[in-house]
Amino acid sequence: MGLQIFSYLCLIVFLAAVLARIHKQLKMPVHFRWELYPVQHEPGEKASYGGSYMEEVNWWEKKRQKSLGNEIKYMVPEILLLRGLREENRTLWKVSFPFHFGLYLLFATLFLLSLGALVLVFGGRIAPDAGFFPSVVYYLTLLTGFVGLVLGTLGVIGLVYRRFNDPNLRNYSSPLDYLNLFLFLLFLAVSLPAWIFFDPSLDGARGYIHSLFTFGGRPSGSAGGIGVLGGLSAFLSSFLLAYIPLTHMSHMFMKYFMYHSIRWEDAPNRRGSRIEAEILKNLGFKPTWVAPHIGADGKKTWADLAAAKEKEG
Amino acid sequence: MPEVLKPSDISKPSKQLVHITPEDLPPLPPPYEDFNKKTITELKEEKISKVEASLDDTVAIGIPKPKNREEEEQYLRAFLSGLEKLFQKENNWGFLQPLLLSMEHCAKCQTCSESCPVFETSGRKEIYRPNFRSEVLRRIYRKYIRPYGKLTAKLAGDIELNWTTMARLAELAYRCTLCRRCASVCPVGVDNGLITHEIRKLFSQELGISPKEIHDKGTIQQLKVGSSTGMNPVAVKDSVEFIEEEMTELAGYKVEIPWDKEGAEVLLLHNAGEVLSWPENVGAFAIILQAAGISWTLSSESVGYDGVNYGVWYDDIQLARVAVKHAQIARKLKVKKILIGECGHAHKALTVIADRVLTGDLNVPRESAIVLLDEIVQSGKLKINPSRNDFPITLHDPCNLVRLMGIVEPQRRILRKIAPKFREMTPHGVENYCCGGGSGFAIMSSYNFAEWRTLVSSRKKLLQILEAFKDEPLDMPKYVCAPCSNCKGSIRDILDYYRAKERSHLYYGGLVELIVNAMEGMKPMIKFGED
Repeated sequence: MGLQIFSYLCLIVFLAAVLARIHKQLKMPVHFRWELYPVQHEPGEKASYGGSYMEEVNWWEKKRQKSLGNEIKYMVPEILLLRGLREENRTLWKVSFPFHFGLYLLFATLFLLSLGALVLVFGGRIAPDAGFFPSVVYYLTLLTGFVGLVLGTLGVIGLVYRRFNDPNLRNYSSPLDYLNLFLFLLFLAVSLPAWIFFDPSLDGARGYIHSLFTFGGRPSGSAGGIGVLGGLSAFLSSFLLAYIPLTHMSHMFMKYFMYHSIRWEDAPNRRGSRIEAEILKNLGFKPTWVAPHIGADGKKTWADLAAAKEKEG
Repeated sequence: MPEVLKPSDISKPSKQLVHITPEDLPPLPPPYEDFNKKTITELKEEKISKVEASLDDTVAIGIPKPKNREEEEQYLRAFLSGLEKLFQKENNWGFLQPLLLSMEHCAKCQTCSESCPVFETSGRKEIYRPNFRSEVLRRIYRKYIRPYGKLTAKLAGDIELNWTTMARLAELAYRCTLCRRCASVCPVGVDNGLITHEIRKLFSQELGISPKEIHDKGTIQQLKVGSSTGMNPVAVKDSVEFIEEEMTELAGYKVEIPWDKEGAEVLLLHNAGEVLSWPENVGAFAIILQAAGISWTLSSESVGYDGVNYGVWYDDIQLARVAVKHAQIARKLKVKKILIGECGHAHKALTVIADRVLTGDLNVPRESAIVLLDEIVQSGKLKINPSRNDFPITLHDPCNLVRLMGIVEPQRRILRKIAPKFREMTPHGVENYCCGGGSGFAIMSSYNFAEWRTLVSSRKKLLQILEAFKDEPLDMPKYVCAPCSNCKGSIRDILDYYRAKERSHLYYGGLVELIVNAMEGMKPMIKFGED
């Protein structure tokens, strides 16, 4: 039960860290616009050539148009295939893509294992001969698991190699950067043989998730545990789950804010809008910058300072 | 110093961290090969003995060296205090979220490097790598501001903060033109241009350190006298009166430039540098607006006749002050909108960034003049004869206008209509290269900075221009259209320095001059070979 408790703790850390990061972003004050074109929610051709609504005469009198379709068309290959990296840094993409895509597949595997475990909780079976849906889940789990582990392993080996051998990367890398990669390498190096040699059907892994759902219960007719290597794999995957959102690797989901809250954040400030209300609140902050020309004294607000001429020249 | 510098090497005192040799710079094609031996003139010891000059071959700010240990400590305390303030909403609400995201999520993949023209043309000098200064700031922030930073520094990347680190970092913030090409290629969305901008702010807003051309002679002078050019309202009215007369003579068109017309539809905000350096631009605007029947006005109120806002490059408070002043003047004149003339940073400052400063009736609509010009040209209100522009033309895209504001097509629609020999540079649009004079560089000339700019940061633009015209005979006049005052200044300097007018018949100018030049009934406004 010790391993399960560790997994629970890691899950709690994961959820808390993700929520804390998201909450922090949502609580951020409205900032100055700092968008970068192309902005992909622009409609029609504008999204591809980088045009904005400001290309139109009296744009403020017109209804603002946004295209979710253009955004999705951009985001899907960006997220799944790392299109930007492929276009701008093909050498790195060759190792980064398999690593990231491998991780996506492993997340998919985790989802499928959880789905299978739920079936077990309700007394069902996940096996090739257990009917259409269970068999699909069974084979899909095997497929995503296998491809994910292989791609992830190849990718992480490539990333470690690149970081050690390319001076452009090496000279900027800290011990922590290497540690992060080695954690992934260790997890994958343990998980691949654990699966191939000790748990080829992934029943053990599914059973482990089932034990998490049922606080230590074992599915009826279970083929057994996950073994030492499987246990180590569960330990490392739990640890990584908790660890990723605590590091810069949280860019996996924080990228959403980097794009939607900054790069594509082009909402105009209209009179009486929520944005205007937020700005008015921000203009009430009292800055404490001390350069003489600022003229801040801890009592004057941003609005006071913006409306004033500088204190001295 | 080691062969390949690491971010932590910025702390190690030396005479000069980086030196650019002629071989480092990308070679220029014929007939410019003689310039391939040129490099930045060495600064004389007596000129730099009292200021920080140990970064590279030039000096942008010239920070006085501390006289003693105590003064050095004061500098460092102020630096750390300013750094802390960058991460407080009370002090930096305007950029807190973008800054935090860029500080925390860099994967150090260096994809940004290849997009940076300064890094590329310098011969890939490590300090100019977009991520170099960001990584220096990240390490200082983690070590000296974050809890347990000194303990975790060994693991997360160490750096020593001393006078050398601080002073070099301040200088290094002025080796990036803030073109944000690096940000546009970052797979994660990290913005090294923004981090550079924040470093500049820290130094200006907390330590009062910034290049004098953009602060003392820039925003301070603009707010005090009325314009960063030094022109007061009387001087600008005199100059514009002269332009009216000149236009009548030059274009053969009687133009009247209205001042302070209350209730006009449009308040036109020029970069006042146009009035002094490119008066034909001001005149051409007047001709077009008058011919199209637009109700417009200029303002003669202090600051109201100069659309520049250098605050956008280095100081949020100065940015806000200038923007508020512009908006107050527009409100007083009861105009329907502010039209920004051919000035890229003025576009971005007032239309995009200050959008989150101006509230209530100060939120007067702002529009790019290029957009209105496009409508006028396409409407048929002007009689256009494109054959009058029968010479090769290429378009320079000001970063502020395209990548940072999304105004890409209107200027092209205009050129396609008025310029039969228009051709694009490669790359162009949102992927354009900076003119090399962005973020204040075009007006900075202390020490030998202008030479560094012309040889390094503007070199990519020169190569692009030469490439755009490579199939044209050298003796055929060619026109680089640059609808931005700072870009024009920068392009003027490279054409002068490399003697491109004599060698390739390369000329430059704005967009409105080309429009007027294509108008039937006007005398030709663009006369090659004449100043």
